[in-house]
Amino acid sequence: MMVRLALVLGLAAAPLVAQNGNTRLAGRVPPAALPAIDSIIATAVAESLPTEPLVQKALEGSAKHVPADRLVNGVRRGLLQLRAARVIVARAVPGQAPPEGHVAAVSAALARGLPAPIVERLLTVAPNEPPGPALHAAADLIAHRFDPDSAADLLVDAHNKGLRDGRLLDVAVAADHELQRGGGRTPSEALAHVRAMLPNVPLPKRP
Amino acid sequence: MSPIDPRLHEALDGERDPGELPADLREAYARLISATHLVSGTPRLSVAARVMTEIRQNPAPAQTGGPLRRSIRWLGRPVTVRLRPAWTLALAAGLAAILLLPLGPGGLTPGVTEGVAKFVGHFPGARSVEVVGSFNDWSRGALALNDDDHDGIWHADAVLPAGQHEYMFVVDGERWVPDPLAGRYVDDGFGDGQQNSVLIVRPAAAQP
Repeated sequence: MMVRLALVLGLAAAPLVAQNGNTRLAGRVPPAALPAIDSIIATAVAESLPTEPLVQKALEGSAKHVPADRLVNGVRRGLLQLRAARVIVARAVPGQAPPEGHVAAVSAALARGLPAPIVERLLTVAPNEPPGPALHAAADLIAHRFDPDSAADLLVDAHNKGLRDGRLLDVAVAADHELQRGGGRTPSEALAHVRAMLPNVPLPKRP
Repeated sequence: MSPIDPRLHEALDGERDPGELPADLREAYARLISATHLVSGTPRLSVAARVMTEIRQNPAPAQTGGPLRRSIRWLGRPVTVRLRPAWTLALAAGLAAILLLPLGPGGLTPGVTEGVAKFVGHFPGARSVEVVGSFNDWSRGALALNDDDHDGIWHADAVLPAGQHEYMFVVDGERWVPDPLAGRYVDDGFGDGQQNSVLIVRPAAAQP
């Protein structure tokens, strides 16, 4: 009898617990913005999208004292980005529910300005690995004026030669160093130089 | 040469009847026999055994006072600890390892899925600098930077979960500033063109 009662109470409480990060937002998000943000987060829950990036965006805007309307718009923009990310992940990793970690990582990469085709290509190369490092490496290269497709080519080569996770970030660092080295080296020459040293790109310095 | 008369010696050894001795030797014989009885009646004890016997016969007075007093007395009481040399060496090696093995920056020891982040900023004349970001739910007052030598360079180390984090410096409690050394930035999405710094923390286990 007690077990059954506990089970019923647990099932009743589950939606409340899963509802979202409401408890983290209460008292921090301005009351004027809270209902709209709650609604956006509830939509994300209903669509099986990760809610943590939205909760973080709401907390960030509140800490920065962003006016309520802009705060809500910022969180809404986050929801739209998560939706776009899920579409990309679903295309790149077909046949399974898009993992929340992948969706969040792709959303962050899109926010950094990484073109969707590049994101999709990198996801396709390693569909079952955490995509964050490869996507950030590509975003780093593009931020340093490397051609997006050439940057993706280099990262795919690096992956094929066994580099994973943080080592892909080292590839981007190595390319940037080659470009900074001077001597009139062009971005494509810098990429070619790094490609020649794969997989032995320099290790990062310890923090 | 024996200082004892041989006849007395023989009597003491039971080889001669003491009654046959002259009067002076008979008297000496009687004194020696009585002295022998005295010695044999006293147990032969070592000094330590005698001391312990004395202690047992005069037990310490019953301890008085409350539990606090008894605890204080117990703490002040000398204790003999017996250790095997091998254990002592092992203990010393363990202590040396704790003291000498390198830790993370600032003595931080990240877990398997964590890494150490180093924050540095040049803010001459600032009264306070802190880091606020997704790793601390954008909470103020959670991670302050220090400038102990007042050279305007503020720094802090922190153990953070591995992965991507967005953050900003807050100078003097009101000015939000991106980290100029971050190297990665992202629009904060609130429409005023402000950028967050992006930090990617690698798990310590993956560090070279």
